[in-house]
Amino acid sequence: EQDLVKEFVALSTRDRIRAIRDLPMSFEEKKHIRLLSQFFRRCGYSIRSARQTLELWQGIMKEIGGKFGTSVLSYFVFLKWLLMFNIFSFLVNFGFITIPLLVYDPLPNIPPNVSFRGLEILTGAGYFNHTVMYYGGYSNETLVGLVEYNMQLAYFFTIAVYMVLCGLALIFSMARSFKTNYVLAESTSNGAWQLLCSWDFSITNERAVRQRKSNLRVQLKESLSEKAQMELLTLSEKLKHFGVHLGSWLLSTGLAVGCGASIYYLCQYEQQEAETLLVPFVVSLMNLVVPLFYSLFYKFEHYSSQRTQIYALVVRNVLLRMSILGVLCFYWMNVVAKKFSCWESRVGQALYRLVIVDFLFLMLGSFFGEFLSNVIGTRLLPRLGVPEFDIARNVLELIYAQTLAWIGIYFSPLLPAIQIVKFFILFYLKKVSLTQNCQPPRRTGRAAQMHTTFIALLFFPFFVGALSMVAYTSWSLTPSEQCGPFRGLNNTFSVVGVWIDDLEEIPGSQWVVWIYQHVIRSELFYFLITLIILVIMYIFWQVTQGRKDLIGLLRQQIVNVSV
Amino acid sequence: MGNKQTIFTDEQLDAYQDCTFFTRKEILRLHGRYHELAPHLVPMDYTNDPDCKLPLALIVNMPELKENPFRNRIVESFSEDGMGNLSFNEFVDMFSVLSETAPRELKAIYAFKIYDFNVDNYLCKEDLEKTLNRLTKEELTPEEVDLVCEKTIEEADLDGDNKLSFADFENMISRAPDFLSTFHIRI
Repeated sequence: EQDLVKEFVALSTRDRIRAIRDLPMSFEEKKHIRLLSQFFRRCGYSIRSARQTLELWQGIMKEIGGKFGTSVLSYFVFLKWLLMFNIFSFLVNFGFITIPLLVYDPLPNIPPNVSFRGLEILTGAGYFNHTVMYYGGYSNETLVGLVEYNMQLAYFFTIAVYMVLCGLALIFSMARSFKTNYVLAESTSNGAWQLLCSWDFSITNERAVRQRKSNLRVQLKESLSEKAQMELLTLSEKLKHFGVHLGSWLLSTGLAVGCGASIYYLCQYEQQEAETLLVPFVVSLMNLVVPLFYSLFYKFEHYSSQRTQIYALVVRNVLLRMSILGVLCFYWMNVVAKKFSCWESRVGQALYRLVIVDFLFLMLGSFFGEFLSNVIGTRLLPRLGVPEFDIARNVLELIYAQTLAWIGIYFSPLLPAIQIVKFFILFYLKKVSLTQNCQPPRRTGRAAQMHTTFIALLFFPFFVGALSMVAYTSWSLTPSEQCGPFRGLNNTFSVVGVWIDDLEEIPGSQWVVWIYQHVIRSELFYFLITLIILVIMYIFWQVTQGRKDLIGLLRQQIVNVSV
Repeated sequence: MGNKQTIFTDEQLDAYQDCTFFTRKEILRLHGRYHELAPHLVPMDYTNDPDCKLPLALIVNMPELKENPFRNRIVESFSEDGMGNLSFNEFVDMFSVLSETAPRELKAIYAFKIYDFNVDNYLCKEDLEKTLNRLTKEELTPEEVDLVCEKTIEEADLDGDNKLSFADFENMISRAPDFLSTFHIRI
């Protein structure tokens, strides 16, 4: 009966009525099935409606899409999507970790000579250090109240499950985006595509429409008069291009490494509380200034297409941010973890400072990036014109901000709350800045593939990097002795070992113990799984190759048949 | 299912939800938009399926369609009489196809209809010329218009009959991943 109901839910009303009539069952049974399938359909619709009432910012998105087009709107959609991650994280962390502790022990035990000054909001140290804001504020006991609540297990599993769910959500989103948006390497910036597929129907603003029309005209004229870009370069010119490329890549990589090294050097200077703001300040300054420097490279570097140029710029920016984050993580895990007691709270504070200063710089960046460009472009140097909204740079800033939150979850469980406020304010800030200062983008298209690239970037390297850092911390580093839920253990992961040992005494849960010992802790299992996955990947790859060949053959057949 | 609305019966709303990509609330909102286009013509009570059609001139004045260069063709493609007079069902159908959740195949069918100005099931050179003129405010020279249309037919025509059939058009659409997001009107 379950299968029948499932089938009927998917049919339309008339088909469903006909199908029910054809069933060889008694009337009572048919009435029952009809009621069940109607019930499930109504449920599906009310879930859809409920999801719609929770939709945030629909009106604003419609306005932005109407004036600036789909590619600029994709930035705001991405921002909203990241906000959902943080809301989920905050609810999960607050519900499973913070609330039990607050219920059990509502007053934080602050030493007597520490009071709230204003500086805490920026530095995160001082008064906040002893609250539930950071790792150090959580106890390692089993709280006895209505139920016995094991704080250690709760902390570990909440964070682990959240990271795994994030990873799965990212993988599915990336796969779905790849499936719908990524096309097998056909050049679509040609005349047919421009004429028939490129017009953005969602633009409703009159000026924007006029501008799009003139942009399209310019592009068509360009593509008509374009001489073949396949100019035959002489050997010396090729060598020159190669030299310029090599030089600029060396320069950009050197800059990234240099920034990382200088951050490491500066980290030694964090003695007093006010000085701790130096490192986040310098980090954000580098993240603001160096990408501007990178985008100057295009003046003497020549890439074959604009898309390659954008990708090169994105890769350089990613290298810069990864090197800075990598150096900071290295410093935290190798120096801070060995030097200080309660080091996790210190790392949490460092991340808090990074998040806050990053937010301040994002606001400043909006001011300098968009407002000043607008003023310069319209009053001082009219040749430059009104600036466009730089989608790539803004999306990278979002990805970086989210990576900080992901790294910080283990050390500061309430960091997502600050991230939520930050993204909320950022949405409105960017919207106002966009509408006041920017014009719609001139070159259309490519939005879908850029979207795929951004999600892929978000996942790998940023999420995987954050996950590795948290995993390394919980696997290899010794938790601090005096504070936090894992004090006294050799490493965080041994919480699970202790729990399994306890479970062995309870009859009826032998299967959990068996799974732990023979599946999770055995190396052979992982080896076999990896082997099987590699074989499956190879098979799918071959199938894709075969299909590509088939497409080519079929296309040839169409041409042959019609000639 | 809380508030009692008297515009549609429950079966009608279910039918709309089955046949379009909209939810109950959106359908009621669409009815509000349809009604405000001509408050004296459109009845508030649709329970007995009134036969009410709004003319093309009223519909293309909606803010979502007003600036669209293809507004007339869009409305004509969804009207049964081909003249652009839309009943409420056709109105909902139009925005459903142009909504975010409509699949690519469905959108391709209607995009083809929209660009097919002379309604002969082929995109011939005249159709492409008219499309181009709508898109560029007629500021290209006739030679340039000719060149662009020739290039388009050359690139997209697979079976060599000098015009684009639906199969050619669909093949081109399948290679344009942005089409799903650009062929989209928010209401």
